[in-house]
Amino acid sequence: MGPLMSRRTLLQMLGATAIGSGIKVPSLLSGVTSAAAFEEISSTASGISWTHVSGRSPMAHLPETVGAGCAFFDYDNDGWMDVYLVNSGPCDFYTPSQPLRNALYHNNRDGTFTDVTVRAGVPGNAYGMGVAVGDYDGDGFPDLYVTQYPNSILYHNNGDGTFTDVTAKAGVAARGWATSAVWFDYDNDGKLDLFVCRFVDYSKTKLKFCGDLITQERHYCIPSIYDPMPCWLFHNNSDGTFTDVSKESGISRSPAKAWGVVAADLNNDGRMDLYVTNDTVPNFLFANRAKGHFEEVGMFAGVGLNSFGKPRSGMGVDAADFDQDGWIDLFEANVDHEMYSLYHNDKDEVFSDVSNPNGIGTATQLMSGWGLKFLDYDNDGDIDLLLCNGHPDDTVEKRVEGVKFREPILLFRNSGNHFENVSQRSGDIFSRPLAARGLALGDFDNDGATDLLISQNNGPPVLLRNLAGRSNHWLGVRVVGTKSNIDAVGAKITYGCGEWQRHKFKVGGGSYLSSHDPRIVLGLGRRTKVDWLEVQWPQPSGKKERFTDLPIDRYITIVEAEGKWK
Amino acid sequence: MLLSLGLIRIRLLRRSPFLSGPRQLISLNRLAADKNRRYTPRKAMGPAFSSFGMFCNPILIVLVIIACISGNAQEGAKATTSNNSVVAEQGISLASKGNCRQALPLLKRARVQVTDKNLKYDVLMSSARCFIGLEQTEGAVETLLELNRRFPKDPEVLYLTTHYYSELALKASHELAADAPSSPQAQQLEAEAFESEGDWDKAITQYRTILEKNPQRHGIHYRLGRLFLTKTPPDVESAKKEFEEELRIDPSSAASEFLLGEIARQAGQWDEAIKRFQAAAKMDEGFVEAYLALGISMNSAGKFSDAVSPLETYVKMQPDDPAGHYQLGTAYARTGRKQEAQREMSLQQETAAKAPRTSPQP
Repeated sequence: MGPLMSRRTLLQMLGATAIGSGIKVPSLLSGVTSAAAFEEISSTASGISWTHVSGRSPMAHLPETVGAGCAFFDYDNDGWMDVYLVNSGPCDFYTPSQPLRNALYHNNRDGTFTDVTVRAGVPGNAYGMGVAVGDYDGDGFPDLYVTQYPNSILYHNNGDGTFTDVTAKAGVAARGWATSAVWFDYDNDGKLDLFVCRFVDYSKTKLKFCGDLITQERHYCIPSIYDPMPCWLFHNNSDGTFTDVSKESGISRSPAKAWGVVAADLNNDGRMDLYVTNDTVPNFLFANRAKGHFEEVGMFAGVGLNSFGKPRSGMGVDAADFDQDGWIDLFEANVDHEMYSLYHNDKDEVFSDVSNPNGIGTATQLMSGWGLKFLDYDNDGDIDLLLCNGHPDDTVEKRVEGVKFREPILLFRNSGNHFENVSQRSGDIFSRPLAARGLALGDFDNDGATDLLISQNNGPPVLLRNLAGRSNHWLGVRVVGTKSNIDAVGAKITYGCGEWQRHKFKVGGGSYLSSHDPRIVLGLGRRTKVDWLEVQWPQPSGKKERFTDLPIDRYITIVEAEGKWK
Repeated sequence: MLLSLGLIRIRLLRRSPFLSGPRQLISLNRLAADKNRRYTPRKAMGPAFSSFGMFCNPILIVLVIIACISGNAQEGAKATTSNNSVVAEQGISLASKGNCRQALPLLKRARVQVTDKNLKYDVLMSSARCFIGLEQTEGAVETLLELNRRFPKDPEVLYLTTHYYSELALKASHELAADAPSSPQAQQLEAEAFESEGDWDKAITQYRTILEKNPQRHGIHYRLGRLFLTKTPPDVESAKKEFEEELRIDPSSAASEFLLGEIARQAGQWDEAIKRFQAAAKMDEGFVEAYLALGISMNSAGKFSDAVSPLETYVKMQPDDPAGHYQLGTAYARTGRKQEAQREMSLQQETAAKAPRTSPQP
């Protein structure tokens, strides 16, 4: 029995075992080449010189190591994606030696950006975390919700290149430590409501000691020692104000340590659900039961805990129907030695973890994941996966073998029935360790190939131009709701060419602390036309509209009920 | 860390055999004596009892006389109790001063007679320390076993037990090194010592040396396989070969079957994993983790109704493990047994709330 004595330890340790993934043959229609898929745009070339400052202190306050987020959004509606970056700022535990501010960069349409933060009036005013973009008042201009510690800000877009802080009037300050947020229409009234993740009960006075008792050197604490707090749900009153419905909706019944959130109709009942990743407590799947009520079903759904019935450190999150079966699947990133999970939607609010057969568990064994997103990076019509990584503790290398504070990003290509780790052959950036946190998707050069913006903790953002997507054909679609919410969050777009058919859901949020280009790029591979396209608008409309005679390799706009594209 | 203490000490033996033996035992005894400060009733009685020898204490003498002249049965019983306490105190006092040879007979008597829980604790601890100091292994082990039985979660007991068992391991390994230095057992111990230090390459070399001389020796390929899995990054292919080789030599190696199953599970090869875990459970019916791993793999493969049986077996064997309840709850839920699923999920939450937090990551 000798060797069996440590079986359980081994079983758990082997949760940590990296096992090689298989090599798959790419599809003949994919058009993927072996050239770099992404190239980094230097700050000199882009003009984005802003840098995140964490304010790393000897006291090791947790917020220092988890921020911050970023966004692609078109604040001036000129058809070109601008960039927003969130920074730290003054709070009870931090007084910056130099004034810090967030940054809004205007897209100059030539691959460069200009800092317009001061004119726009969106600097932030506390210790910044993330950003969620949504046109909450339906005036056609995207607004900004900036999550912060200890209170967040709603910036209303005035439509003239400036913003106004309307937090007090709107009633969405969310006092506490807010992290990711998402705009979505939970009650199907056609207006965007706001869900805000809350992390633990935190303040300077509640700081705990974690570190070396002899030297008194601190490291960042495991959040398990802090108390969970409920997230916020704000109902849009359609008059520029919101009502905190956290209690009556059932959201506040589940104390959270939430980092990430994605809104999607996971059970195809016409109502938007929420998947929330928590750190050291079970993840939540808030199933929308209508009449403004949510039921937390994460554990029964199989997305709350790991195989051993234990909560992990859920951080980044996203949702997409990667296998095109009509049901939206989920992804969750965790901390090192916990592996990330790709959850296949088995219908009926039940999911199964398929990360191991796809080589994702193994590849992420030593990684800690934040920003992540499903995307069709090569425009072959299959939904791939990009993961941004970095351990939250900058002293981890002294303590845990094989784990690094800075880690490279990972790219998994969907070959139709399997994910393949193609990071090593996708460009130099996949070998460069980053302290990555946020990830925003956006086609900043309007070439149809979805580009990436990665925010780093205590460092400059990384802007990556997508080269792979250019080798295939595509159609970009901006959907605008009229009866349904204006951002058409929850819409489903189906398109086909001959017998070939694909669909994409427009989910709300996803990634970590970040917000994305609202347009949807439909990859076509080598196909040179789109025969038809169908938009299923979210409730309260729920109608389907079908379009033919569509162009390719350009963006179009479809406004609900207009019956045409432009 | 505590768990590795024994192996670290074994490693010390390899580095410097002269560090072990009496000197270490003396220091352990001193450590034990320093810890002998717990018996609160004695302190409560005041300095008279704690500062002077029992026989020199006039108050004690008066108490003994009073007890002796007492006429009724109740008082007699009290006197007996008091007498037992006196004997116990005397033994404890002698032990605390290092007079273990005189102390042990008194402690032996008191150990049987004393009923007060705190005093019993002190008597047993003093006995254990004396046995350890006098290198009376049998008495020491027997006393520690009793201490662990009577005071199962007491940190002091666990601390002393850890140290002493570690010493025993050290002593045995010393004897092995001295008496049979070229035996495969001694070489295996050496390899395990390297392993405990994280010196994988040296451990692998040492295990290979054993196999050169004893190619059929059971357990060595298994250990090699485990080492390959422990490396960063793990060498899974080499590990698989070693486990398969172990099974060729020892077809009853349930642990090798188990780890081959685990490798398959990690790769998402559910059928292979199920086959391996089934084999492991068949080989060793007490191999609890095999049932859990089998249930997890069956659930992962979507074979929820098949998963119920091994998981029910597992939760019977390990009712305090949230993992079993979670997986069984999942299997029940997906086979339409909602009430049973709800029950298991509730048990998962209850057991998880009681389980110690183990995650070291921030």
